Amino acid sequence: MTVFLSGGAKNGKTALAEDIAVKLSGGGRRYYVATMIPYDGEDRARIARHVAERAEKGFGTLELGRDIGSCTDLGGRDATYLVDSATALLLNEMYPDTFDREPDPMAAERCRSGLARLAREAENAVFVSDYLYSDAARYDDFTENYRRDLASIDRLLAGLCDVVIEMTAGIPVFRKGGLTL
Amino acid sequence: MDFIIGGAYQGKRDCAVQRYGLTEDDIYTCTESEGIRFGARCIDRLEEFTLWCVKNGTDPLEVFRENRAAWRGCVLICQDIFCGVVPMGADMRAWRECTGRLAAYLASEAETVTRVFCGLEERLK
Repeated sequence: MTVFLSGGAKNGKTALAEDIAVKLSGGGRRYYVATMIPYDGEDRARIARHVAERAEKGFGTLELGRDIGSCTDLGGRDATYLVDSATALLLNEMYPDTFDREPDPMAAERCRSGLARLAREAENAVFVSDYLYSDAARYDDFTENYRRDLASIDRLLAGLCDVVIEMTAGIPVFRKGGLTL
Repeated sequence: MDFIIGGAYQGKRDCAVQRYGLTEDDIYTCTESEGIRFGARCIDRLEEFTLWCVKNGTDPLEVFRENRAAWRGCVLICQDIFCGVVPMGADMRAWRECTGRLAAYLASEAETVTRVFCGLEERLK
């Protein structure tokens, strides 16, 4: 089964996604696909804390900031993957080498094809994204392109996944399909 | 009138085209430099029209009330710009407010209201 979760920040998306991944995997292997690429000691400390917390819930961790389609090469098809988040993944793919360069125009396409591959191949996959689309602001081209590209990824995942959940105030609202929580 | 609302890039226009059998020629797209023109079967980007209104000191709600006959049979599309932090700039605040009031008026006048989220449609009315 595949599940897509989106919604505003600090809504409980990750916590719910973990619960869903635990439930879907049953006794099988489950991986948290960590998309954050650490840049300093503070990042690394936070990541170490998260890894320890998730180990208690039975998650292995795959550190994969890019090339998300290769998840099943690393963990096998008969596993459950939690990808958190499409938002970070896109940013990583936009800057394959360094933040000094222009963003890679193929980043969104690489994310879409990689995520579609994971959704197709994995026994279960849970995807988390962020809803950045309903504020009154005029952004610079960079931010506007980023929002447009992330939306294209969200729409692809919402179309592909069996279940789509919008988190609102910590409450899951089912936009497509359903599952017992 | 059928009203479609949703965040940026969520698939509102695609939803209108599919559900109401529109072609691109049926759709008028508002811009912040030109405002609005009635007459098309579908009017998209009402939030660009309201931004034009802010810049030109016009009340979008008045424009819609005065031209009610011109859009009663239309499909109208507006971006949901209501969930962010209160904007710092006075123009952006006015923009958000007048767009919100217009959206509420249009939703009350509409036969159907649809919200689009990540390409998925939800009928609100």
